[in-house]
Amino acid sequence: MELIISIIEHINYIAAAALFVIGLYTVLTHSNLLKKVIGINIMETSIFLFFVSIGYVSGGSSPIITLGEKQIFINPVPSALILTGIVVAVSITAYSLSLIIRLHETYGTIDMDEIMALRGEKS
Amino acid sequence: MSSVHFPVYILLILLTTAVTIPLISNRFKNSLKEYIMAAFVVSWVLSFTTLNHVMKNGSYTYSFGNWSQKIGIQFLVDEFSSFMTLIILTVAFLVIIYSLKDMEHEIKDYQFSSYYTLIFLLLFSMIGLTVTNDMFNMYVFMEILSITSCGIISIKHKKDNFLASMRYLILSAIGSLSVLLGIALLYMVTGQLNMFEVSSVISQTWQSYPTNILVSLGFMVSGLAIKAAVFPLHIWLPDAHSSAPTPSSALLSGLVVKVYIFTVAKILFRIIGVEIVAALGIPTYLTYFAALGMIMGSVFAIGQKDIKRMLAYSSVAQIGYIFMGLGLATVQGFSAALFHIVSHALLKTALFLSAGSIIYQKDKRDLRDLNGIGYEMPITMMVFTIAAFGMIGIPGINGFMSKIYLSLAVIDVKKYVYLVIILVSSFLNAMYYLPIIIAAFLKESKDRKNIMVMDKLPRSMIYPMVIVALGCILMGFFPQLIMNVIDKAVPSFLLLGK
Amino acid sequence: MDDLIVKTITRLIIPFIQLYGIFIILHGHLSPGGGFSGGAILGASIVLYSLSFGLEKASKKLSHETSSIIETAGILWYIVLGLVGIFMRGFFLTNRGAGFPMGEAGGVISSGMIALITLGIGAKVASTMITLFHTIIKED
Repeated sequence: MELIISIIEHINYIAAAALFVIGLYTVLTHSNLLKKVIGINIMETSIFLFFVSIGYVSGGSSPIITLGEKQIFINPVPSALILTGIVVAVSITAYSLSLIIRLHETYGTIDMDEIMALRGEKS
Repeated sequence: MSSVHFPVYILLILLTTAVTIPLISNRFKNSLKEYIMAAFVVSWVLSFTTLNHVMKNGSYTYSFGNWSQKIGIQFLVDEFSSFMTLIILTVAFLVIIYSLKDMEHEIKDYQFSSYYTLIFLLLFSMIGLTVTNDMFNMYVFMEILSITSCGIISIKHKKDNFLASMRYLILSAIGSLSVLLGIALLYMVTGQLNMFEVSSVISQTWQSYPTNILVSLGFMVSGLAIKAAVFPLHIWLPDAHSSAPTPSSALLSGLVVKVYIFTVAKILFRIIGVEIVAALGIPTYLTYFAALGMIMGSVFAIGQKDIKRMLAYSSVAQIGYIFMGLGLATVQGFSAALFHIVSHALLKTALFLSAGSIIYQKDKRDLRDLNGIGYEMPITMMVFTIAAFGMIGIPGINGFMSKIYLSLAVIDVKKYVYLVIILVSSFLNAMYYLPIIIAAFLKESKDRKNIMVMDKLPRSMIYPMVIVALGCILMGFFPQLIMNVIDKAVPSFLLLGK
Repeated sequence: MDDLIVKTITRLIIPFIQLYGIFIILHGHLSPGGGFSGGAILGASIVLYSLSFGLEKASKKLSHETSSIIETAGILWYIVLGLVGIFMRGFFLTNRGAGFPMGEAGGVISSGMIALITLGIGAKVASTMITLFHTIIKED
């Protein structure tokens, strides 16, 4: 019973770790380049989830000041940091997608195994 | 006459130049090169003045917006960061002068201005990563650096470049995400992001959270090891550095991988502190992987046929040297590592620039075609010979001095196995550099007689190569010039906050 | 694409999308959002216009050179606002010490420099989205 209670309390850590490992497995094993990019996106989502969930203060409300009342607010710093992190993730995804378009134009395929085979028989 | 704002001015000048280059190249096509040169000269002068100021008056911190240390972003301008900023700007200046003529035959005309935008953003993020004192700021600069360094590889539209750049981008993204996870774990324990604050909190409370700090260090060091090409995680480096255009290879091999090593040193020695790191046993693991890299990098380089690929594998071996100095965790080891960072930047730049000149004039990259080339291109092959002798460790050139300092540091901690490994690695270095020099000067080429003529290179390509080679020889005969600055920089780095 | 329903709905919806984006940018210091998300919404509205009406008509509304100039102007605006702090004998990016109007907490004109920087960031992110989209689609 205590096991279930402690799992429910720490569900954010378990979810972040599980998503990170799923993303890492996708990047390392699938040979399609688009699936590798999606795997990196899943890894980034897991780390953003972890970072934002650290800032929770139990009993707090969203950090917008309404005058006159004294309240407990959650920590707003992680949310602001992750906003920057999301922009970085979007730019990496945009750049890698344009590289995939160029790779498809020159090699004709977006499968990593086929590209390595084409390179191997050329050199 | 110097002001506290000069480091920020350097960063702002580089950023403004990077952003306004597309506008200028649309209106005033002919003055692009003068504009780039002017921006470089101004930032170099500012950086030199900052170094003089810091060497006389000591280090200072610069808080953005005058916020206190607990909530604002801070830059730490001490001897280490101002010295490394000057080295970065000097080497980049010489490589950019070389690239003004060399890039015309590697990329198309309309991409010329985009290439220089990427180079200036790369320098902006490298200098920012050296001076920053805030953990999340470090992550943001790392991401800018990784995207722009992939950009200067893939700007040449060939098959190999796209594949090498894609592999570098994916591995680099995994590395950055590991670093972000490490930062999150440290933020969970301490609640601060400033490096001084985190270090003071950890030195008081690390007994209560040993697992948390160990896991966070593990993620951060392995993420940065992917990006700095330590031995088992170096697989992106040969493709990326050999297929890139020559100025990009020189910048990547000489400067970009080194800046990630500074970040590892900052995390291990400034945030966590030497005693805790030694108690957790991390430096021993670093020296194991460094020793492995020194041997295996050279072993892989012996069997290569393409000149740039061989130089890329040689980089892997030299990064092993630097990590060995870092992993000894003493003042002498760290000083030897810093000296080798500076000397390897100069040597590898000279090697790549001379290899690029051979490709520019003769269009040959294969090592077996280089017979008798010393008579057609004497200046280039002299530069290559000086740099290759420096890599092997022949006295008179700065490579020899850095091997001496590293051996003295290893003897000081009484680990004689590593001394043997350093000697074996120098011997392996000789095995793949000497055949090129012998073939260039002593063998007969197939289609011409061995008569000495001058190189047919533009002057803007010859002068930087010669200046870098002269710098190597100068540093070899007078190493005190650099060691004086390093001796002041290292103790303040290792014992900060105590 | 050449569909009548898509064109009509796009022509009706785009002003509301842009109004929402400008609202998020202007209230960046009062409510969640700020420069990045507001700029992304503004950029998405122009991308919607390009998708439904074709690339040539969208280039007439907002050409490539105009979005390049807006991109550069966004960063230069940020740097100029930071240098005002140095000019007024403070540090880079000083807010109250550099004389920006503070106002009262909760109003639209408040918190000095943050609102102005948010405008710059919003414009830059919107023009970056448009430039990226045009570069990937153009197929030259």
